[in-house]
Amino acid sequence: MKMIKNKVYLAVGAVSIGLLGAVSLWARPPFTDAQLANQQQELLEVVNKGRDLWHGSNPDMSTNGLACGNCHPDAAASNPQTFPKWVSEIGSVAPLRDMINWCIVHPMDGKALDVNSADMVALEAYAFYLYRGQSIQPGLAMPTPPDPVKSGVGFPHKPSGIGVDK
Amino acid sequence: MSDANELTRRRFLGLAGQAGLATFAVSAIGVNTGLVEVLSAETKNGVQPFRFGIITDSHLFSIDNHKFDKSLADAVKQVNALTPAVDFVMYTGDIAQNGREDQLVKGKKILSGLKAPLKVIPGEHDWYLDMGKVWNGLFGKETWSFDHKGVHFIGLNSILVRDFWTGAGMTPLERMSTMEMLESPIAGPWGVRDAQLEFLRKDVKKLSASTPVVIFTHSPLWDYYPRWNFQTEDAPEIREILSKFDHVTALHGHVHQTIYNKIGNLSSAGALSTSWPWPYPPVKLEYPGSQMNQSDPANTKDGMGSQSVSIDAGGATATYEPFANSLTPFLKDGLKV
Repeated sequence: MKMIKNKVYLAVGAVSIGLLGAVSLWARPPFTDAQLANQQQELLEVVNKGRDLWHGSNPDMSTNGLACGNCHPDAAASNPQTFPKWVSEIGSVAPLRDMINWCIVHPMDGKALDVNSADMVALEAYAFYLYRGQSIQPGLAMPTPPDPVKSGVGFPHKPSGIGVDK
Repeated sequence: MSDANELTRRRFLGLAGQAGLATFAVSAIGVNTGLVEVLSAETKNGVQPFRFGIITDSHLFSIDNHKFDKSLADAVKQVNALTPAVDFVMYTGDIAQNGREDQLVKGKKILSGLKAPLKVIPGEHDWYLDMGKVWNGLFGKETWSFDHKGVHFIGLNSILVRDFWTGAGMTPLERMSTMEMLESPIAGPWGVRDAQLEFLRKDVKKLSASTPVVIFTHSPLWDYYPRWNFQTEDAPEIREILSKFDHVTALHGHVHQTIYNKIGNLSSAGALSTSWPWPYPPVKLEYPGSQMNQSDPANTKDGMGSQSVSIDAGGATATYEPFANSLTPFLKDGLKV
């Protein structure tokens, strides 16, 4: 009886796989190449805005002249891929945006951003973009480097405008 | 990290623990081979034991009672309180954040509280608003050398870049802002350039190989992390000019962190800033033991401080004087440089 059941399952499985294959042949990709390129461009514009904010473009974020980039060049030691995690300064498990606001309020002595504001999205986009390709490790305490810029290579021939070499 | 490096590091740290003296450990693995002998010999020729202080990277803003003003004043107090007292204090660049006159004047005023004479070289934050005009007016020449108790000291301006502003039509303020951003890809690499290389050649020409030499620059004289200008483009030429000496001690600012390296006869140590610590860049280090603890952002003093350097028959020992408890046990006894 058990063997017959298994055979039935196998048959059902085979049919299902066949159907999935057929569907994927018929389906169109959800976006055209032009649309994908446009979406990426939209992202990079937000990343670029985040880079400017990271380096002091919003004066409300600081009253003592400090910007995120003073202590976190290339978003170093911001480790966005380790959030949410326990943040001692906040006293709870918190997402990156709460840590960003903690830095704005304390070391930078500025006014916290609305966590849903376009500026906060841009700051997060910048940090996450520089750490793209890193595995997501919520809670990891050890710092990991941002998207590595090779030591010894020096500077890009053309400024990318987003603080990365490639 | 390779097994061999790991073994070296463990042996390094193990010896440091056993001896209770990091300085002994460094000598034991040959980091500073020959230095002890050199300075012992020189003692006979007039090298007398002494100590000097290093303060660096205060990044003062044009804001009254800014927290960095207090940090610099704390460093001055710290260095003044050292026993035995220092013969002079070296400032290795970046008094100002935006190169403004009021920032440089404020820095000079706070540093005037030092009991010992002050020697200064510029950093990029001091320089690019007016290309060093105010800095030179306040602190004199940026390229110099002097002899003290048998040791030859050299200061160079290592933050000179190629002209990126004229072609781009930048204002002085735009030029300064570009230089202020550590990871800006626009400005390109720093260096001391031809005139200072020529100064250096002439300066050391008549010195004997056994003369202890200490050289100060804002940026390190080795290729640490070029993207953040943790390097000096013409450092290979500098090392070549200084290669005739048995040993050269290179001390630098800019990196805002403890760091040690050795290339040939030149050993280098970076300095703690009085403003903020920088994370270690993603670089595999030859001497990873020279890294301090990761800084706690909630402690406004963590990862900052001043340093002192003792020179005696045993060589040069750079000791970090942190404001908070930032040092690993390994770093607490200082680095032989």
